[in-house]
Amino acid sequence: MRMSLRTIGKVLAVGWAFLIAGMALAQPVTLSFWSWRVEDKEFYDDIAKQFEKQTGIKVVFTPYKNTEYNTIISSALAAGSGPDIIHTRAYGGLAQLADAGYLLPIDAKQVPNLNKFPSSLLSAARGFKDDTRKKIYGVPFATQSLGFFYNKDLLNRAGIKELPETWPEFKAALAKIKAAGIVPIANGPKDGISLEQIFGVVGPMFYGGTDYFRDVTTGKKTFVDDGFIKALEETAALKEFFPPNYAGIGYPEGRTLFTNGGAAFFVTGGFDIAFFRENNPKLNFGFMPAPPLTRGGRTYVSTFADGNYSINAKTKNPEAAIKFLNFLSTQEFGQQFTEKLAQASAVPGTKAKDPVLAEVIEQTGYYGTPYLTLVGFRYATPTGTELMRSGLQKMILGQATGRQVAEEMTKGVATWFKPFQR
Amino acid sequence: MRFQRNLWLVIFLAPALLLMLVFTILPAINALSFSLYSWTSFNREGFVGLENFRKLLSFPFRDAFVSAFSHNLLAFAGLMVIQNGLGLLLAYALWRQPPFFKFFRVTVFLPVILSLVVVGFLWLLFFDPLIGPLTKAANALGITSFAPLGDPKYALLTLILVNAWRWVGFPTLVFLAGLNSISEEYYEAARLDGATEGQVFRHVMLPLLAPAFTIIVILTFIGAMEWFELPYVMAGVSGNPGGATDTMGLMFYRLAFGAASESTSNVGVAAAISVVLFVIVGVGSALGSLYLRRREVEG
Amino acid sequence: MLRRRLSFWDAFLIGALTVNALGVILPLALMLISAMKPTPEIFASPFALPKAWSLENFAKVWESGRFDLYFRNSIFITLGAEVLILAFSAMAGYALGRFRFGLNNLLYVVFLVGLLFPAKLVLVPLFIQLKQMGLLNSHLGLILVYAAGGIPAAVFILTGFFRSLPSDLDNAARIDGASEWQVFARVMLPLVRPQLAIVAIYTAIPIWNDFLLPLAFLQSPTLKTVPQGLSVFFGEFATDYGPLFAGLTLAALPLIILYLLLSEQFIKGLTAGATKG
Repeated sequence: MRMSLRTIGKVLAVGWAFLIAGMALAQPVTLSFWSWRVEDKEFYDDIAKQFEKQTGIKVVFTPYKNTEYNTIISSALAAGSGPDIIHTRAYGGLAQLADAGYLLPIDAKQVPNLNKFPSSLLSAARGFKDDTRKKIYGVPFATQSLGFFYNKDLLNRAGIKELPETWPEFKAALAKIKAAGIVPIANGPKDGISLEQIFGVVGPMFYGGTDYFRDVTTGKKTFVDDGFIKALEETAALKEFFPPNYAGIGYPEGRTLFTNGGAAFFVTGGFDIAFFRENNPKLNFGFMPAPPLTRGGRTYVSTFADGNYSINAKTKNPEAAIKFLNFLSTQEFGQQFTEKLAQASAVPGTKAKDPVLAEVIEQTGYYGTPYLTLVGFRYATPTGTELMRSGLQKMILGQATGRQVAEEMTKGVATWFKPFQR
Repeated sequence: MRFQRNLWLVIFLAPALLLMLVFTILPAINALSFSLYSWTSFNREGFVGLENFRKLLSFPFRDAFVSAFSHNLLAFAGLMVIQNGLGLLLAYALWRQPPFFKFFRVTVFLPVILSLVVVGFLWLLFFDPLIGPLTKAANALGITSFAPLGDPKYALLTLILVNAWRWVGFPTLVFLAGLNSISEEYYEAARLDGATEGQVFRHVMLPLLAPAFTIIVILTFIGAMEWFELPYVMAGVSGNPGGATDTMGLMFYRLAFGAASESTSNVGVAAAISVVLFVIVGVGSALGSLYLRRREVEG
Repeated sequence: MLRRRLSFWDAFLIGALTVNALGVILPLALMLISAMKPTPEIFASPFALPKAWSLENFAKVWESGRFDLYFRNSIFITLGAEVLILAFSAMAGYALGRFRFGLNNLLYVVFLVGLLFPAKLVLVPLFIQLKQMGLLNSHLGLILVYAAGGIPAAVFILTGFFRSLPSDLDNAARIDGASEWQVFARVMLPLVRPQLAIVAIYTAIPIWNDFLLPLAFLQSPTLKTVPQGLSVFFGEFATDYGPLFAGLTLAALPLIILYLLLSEQFIKGLTAGATKG
């Protein structure tokens, strides 16, 4: 009798446990997901629907204004709140959050597809401290590449039938375009963003691309290097092809100008293709890397991981969050991403429908090199980015030489970058 | 009776004092202590003494800070001359009761009520290099390259002018109130002595306007030292172009909350900047108000 | 003075006033007419009147901008802070202005200190404190911070007014057996009602217009205020100039209209701290 009572008790307990577990299962889990990709809202809402169909887990996507996203996310995380899934930046932007302990480290056991990503992309998801550098804090979402976008109609109008094949030819073409009364390059120096990007497009062939990147990130070389200085000078020299009133033109103004057919070239990344298509469907444009110095010479395309999908360390639903990250690392998702957002997904082997994007992806495959300042030097203030932007601005005003800027960059970065301190 | 009165005093004073204690004085004390720690994002780490101040005053932060501080000082000087000088002139003009007095008074004060964000964005659009009406007008007048907000020589001055546009009504009406409070007898006496208009202004009005002046000077000083919103809206968080419009407030914000596309912050150095700002504003306005009191006694 | 002839000097002064008035009105008018033009027309002829007056830009703004929500948030925060400021400052001002007691001067200094530390100087500690109190990302947190920031100036202004009231008023009421609270609420408070309006305007306009604190303390998109919403909007519509002008107009117009209706009160209110009434 006693025995059976105990059995009954056991049965009851097990039943109770099942009931609770069942209730927990029945309760739909909802993941919140914050991002700065205001323009991708529809896409992510659709992805959330697909994911919910597969797993029953709901995902709510909330985008914020790009320039305020960092403030919002860092203050929310510091407040101990924030979303379950965080659209994080890459490299230094992510490392900052990872080093503060806000992000959940993930590994290939939890997200097996991580093994398929090239290690250069995964380095965008690592911390910067000695211990966090060994871990991975997110699934990369897009690779971006920089180059010259050109307006085919305007090139035709200026009498340029074939794309220039060498750098001297390219500059001659710019002069010809200018003489035809067309703005050659839409970029301007105001916020410095475009200057850094022009450097990313033009610079590598002067400083020696990936080899120099390796040397400078290990401290074998600094920025005070003839090739690097030449790269700065060539970047600043393009100012003669900037638009009228160019001092007032920053990245957004330049983009508006090119989108509305107001300039022959615009330096930016593949991330703007969707913007061009949406805001001016008639724009007839293409993509080219900076032409090499000599015919048949080597050129480069600066490339970088745009950001990651990360998990808040304080999430109440880590399992569901990991499931979602797994979903975001699949070929199925990557292909949709590349097709619908007209962006190169970080998932290897996706095919683009957009011909220009396909061109960007193809060229990146041939000529890809890490985007120097972003990949290597955005881990602490003053960042290589800040120093380069203000340095190039000074050069354009004639207030500094390339050597001075290189020296200032080296000195500034050395305050936190250990390989430079020796 | 006395106890009861004191109890009432506590009841009357406690809510205001409590709010201030918790949301003004406590954070002010904390700001001091925060500057003595190192930080990773908003997580406080070890005690580092004056390290953050040392960092602020050595390479590379020093150059940025000195340049930002100098921009605050330039803004103060510029606003004193342009904004307050114009304010005095307009106040004098209004005091003489011109025709359409009411209309002029209402319009001069109108921009004061507008948000700096609205004012900043509005002028940003006017100066836009692609569509800005001012750019178009300048280009039409033969200035082929017109972009004062992109030119380090003119960017700060442009911000000062926009600030003056928004705020000139304030000193105008403070000076006008000061002028109106001067007794009519002084003018009569001066005129009977055969003084000219200019002499009356210089020897009668200006000295008697001293209290209004000191208030305006202090307020302009505080405003210029804490200048943030207008540069933020019109020149971005890093004070474009190339830091030509950077201010202490912007630098503080950048280091505390990170710049737009790169979230590299340094809360410790940011806290140090806020302490330095404290001292500058506190000492400045304390000296100013002492000065004010003395003048008032003399007046 | 009125009989004086119009001298060159007078003409110059009136000229200065006129130029200034035009300098204020023209930009605002340009904003308004630009808001009623499609973007290509702004490009082509920035100064001309619209070919066809259109409210399309406003419709775009209203649909995508969530301005109704931003207005509600701004009104709620401003009103909330004002209630606290007016109630607490009137009480404190009454105590400081009508009673002589040992700590009177010390408390005056405390309020002075409050005047010297605006919230933007203590942004980081305030941020961390609000986080610990669970008041981050909430309107209540912002209301309390604004109230604490507005109280010192309000107390100074109101203390002065209370002090200037004749002393037999409250004493008479006390002799009639009124409690201290009744003396304050029934006798003294009605006498300073016009000054309360001045204090309200003085403290409310900066709160309404503030940008930095909501930017740092509010993260949820549904909590944002008008200036913050405007900045979000400028990010999204970067290349579509018509709606940008419409957004500015929408954000500015309510306050402008209120000002034109109540300009006396606004001017008195906003210069109250500097001109002593």
